[in-house]
Amino acid sequence: MKMTAQNDRYKKMVEILRNSKPGLIQPEEIQNEVIRRIQRENQNFRGVSDFIESLFGWVYIGWVRRSLIGVAVILVAVFVYQQAFIFKQVKNISKQVVITGNETTQVSSSVLDKRLTLYKISTRLSPGGELKISESQFEELLNSYNDLQVKYKDLLRIIEENPELKNYIENKLNQEKKYKPDI
Amino acid sequence: MSLFTFPLKSRLIYKHFSTLVEKELIEECRKGDLHNFRKVVEKTTPMIFAVAFRMLGDEDTARDIVQDTMITIWQKLSRIKTAESYKTWAYRIAVNKCYDQLRKQKRRKENRYDDQTWAIISNHISEEGITELENKENAQIINLLTNKLSHKQKAVFILSELEEMPAGEIAEVTGMNRAAVKANLYYARRNIESLLQKYL
Repeated sequence: MKMTAQNDRYKKMVEILRNSKPGLIQPEEIQNEVIRRIQRENQNFRGVSDFIESLFGWVYIGWVRRSLIGVAVILVAVFVYQQAFIFKQVKNISKQVVITGNETTQVSSSVLDKRLTLYKISTRLSPGGELKISESQFEELLNSYNDLQVKYKDLLRIIEENPELKNYIENKLNQEKKYKPDI
Repeated sequence: MSLFTFPLKSRLIYKHFSTLVEKELIEECRKGDLHNFRKVVEKTTPMIFAVAFRMLGDEDTARDIVQDTMITIWQKLSRIKTAESYKTWAYRIAVNKCYDQLRKQKRRKENRYDDQTWAIISNHISEEGITELENKENAQIINLLTNKLSHKQKAVFILSELEEMPAGEIAEVTGMNRAAVKANLYYARRNIESLLQKYL
């Protein structure tokens, strides 16, 4: 009996609430506001949403589409980072080249002399051809050449200063010429 | 009526409700026709407002929920598989937005107006026939009766008992299985019945 009365109250209350549909005052206000907001958002996001739609419009399952967009964003981010990193490296390389160029202009006299010498040597060593030589080998070659020149000049000076030595060397050279077989 | 059954009448009403927005109209909107979407808004707004108002018990908040729901519907309209599923889908969006709003709000504590509301309920129940409530009274009574319910129980109670939606559709709207829907409805009913017994 008690249960029935309780049930009846519940039923009556639910019936009253069901019958009292909440009334929307001025629904056209909401409708206008919705359309206005959509138009505003369309203007703002048309570009982005069109782009996403054109790329992922073929995917109808929500979570798959979201996952694809996520992966695409990550890939683009990685690509941009990579490009930025590479660009930075390239920029540094170009800076290094500039520095080398500056150094070249600052020590131009000696290096230019060296390069001219190398040119002379290379034309003598391989006339009409090309000479492949590394930077370090080139430096070593020039240094040896310079040392040799210095030693040669020193030797000439010593010989000039000492007449006995000069006579001795001239005699020796003449003897060598005398015994040298004709080819 | 058993506690675990849904009235046959509600299914008939619900079937009628399914044709609220025509398939052709939905198809046009899916192509981006904003003019036709205005008609969809016109037809969908009352049903969304009813659910939001009953869930939240506040007219202004319910109006905001309606706007947000309609904008979400416009944005995601292309994603619904068939135009027939529009109504359930629209309900789902609205109910999810109501859940978000309820999470933001703190649960109302009992206040001095509760006695006044119980008096209103008592008057209406003792009256002969079924009276119609104004929005304010309606919100007061629903808030009072569902104050102790969880958000899910509240949603199931409103959709089942007040919107007369079948259990299968409620399951689709709320994302619960049918058993969970029935269990939530059972607890909601028991809770409200015990409140009515206690205060009346």
